Amino acid sequence: MTCVNDKGQLSPTQRKLLEVIDNNSLSIEKISEQTGLPMFKVRSNLREMNQNGIILEQDGLYRINP
Amino acid sequence: MSEINNVSEEKVEVRSLPRIGSKAPDFEAVTTHGTIKLSDYKDSWLILFSHPTDFTPVCTTEFVGFQKIYPQLREMNTELLGLSIDSVHSHIAWVRNIKKNFDVDIEFPVIADLDMNVAGKYGMIMPEESSTEASRAVFVIDDKQVVRAIIYYPLSTGRNMDEMVRLVTALQATDKHSIATPADWKKGDKVIVPPATTTELAEERANDDSLECIDWYLCKKDL
Repeated sequence: MTCVNDKGQLSPTQRKLLEVIDNNSLSIEKISEQTGLPMFKVRSNLREMNQNGIILEQDGLYRINP
Repeated sequence: MSEINNVSEEKVEVRSLPRIGSKAPDFEAVTTHGTIKLSDYKDSWLILFSHPTDFTPVCTTEFVGFQKIYPQLREMNTELLGLSIDSVHSHIAWVRNIKKNFDVDIEFPVIADLDMNVAGKYGMIMPEESSTEASRAVFVIDDKQVVRAIIYYPLSTGRNMDEMVRLVTALQATDKHSIATPADWKKGDKVIVPPATTTELAEERANDDSLECIDWYLCKKDL
């Protein structure tokens, strides 16, 4: 299941995640707190975005792939 | 952990259930919220429940019921995850139908377990009842991903939503206060102090005015 739709756009949840992460490196807990999304949803979406190369993860912190 | 049983001269694989206290079997599954792994729920409690089929009457009333308790469960750091042997498109259509007919938004994910991978791992199929549908199973999994309670109902009988909330409340109270809970316990009721394990402690317990003791082995206290 891809995180982009047929127009190549991210889902609303994933756009929200990118907005919150912005130029920061954030933990799952922080992202969950700032988006109001449950942790399971943050984890599953970030995993997918990480696999697609949109997000990078290092030591439990997530940032946008420049 | 499986065995082959002969049922009506047909070989049906029967898997045993995860046991209370065991690590919950891991899985990665397609859901109405994308691909989810059990490990995505670490640090949260989870009620993983199965239902027989989308677009059936008892299941529909249950889904409305589960959604009604979902906000309360989330306040208790507890998530809901549904499952049936249906496609994700069927789940989406059913969830939209529930919105249309009941004005209820199903906010929790539902696993589309077409290959019965998760249902098999959790022993949700009761072949004597149906080999193509999951029974009404409930697994309460704690924040360390350990199975803490299991409930099974047959296809014909809808589950009690108050009991789901009561069960998680009781389990969390047990973890937090090292107590047990009596029959029909509700939040605010007295709880059971673990029984004394020596005669000395039993005597001390019997004379402890801060406890409500019926006898040395059955003492209650306020939380």
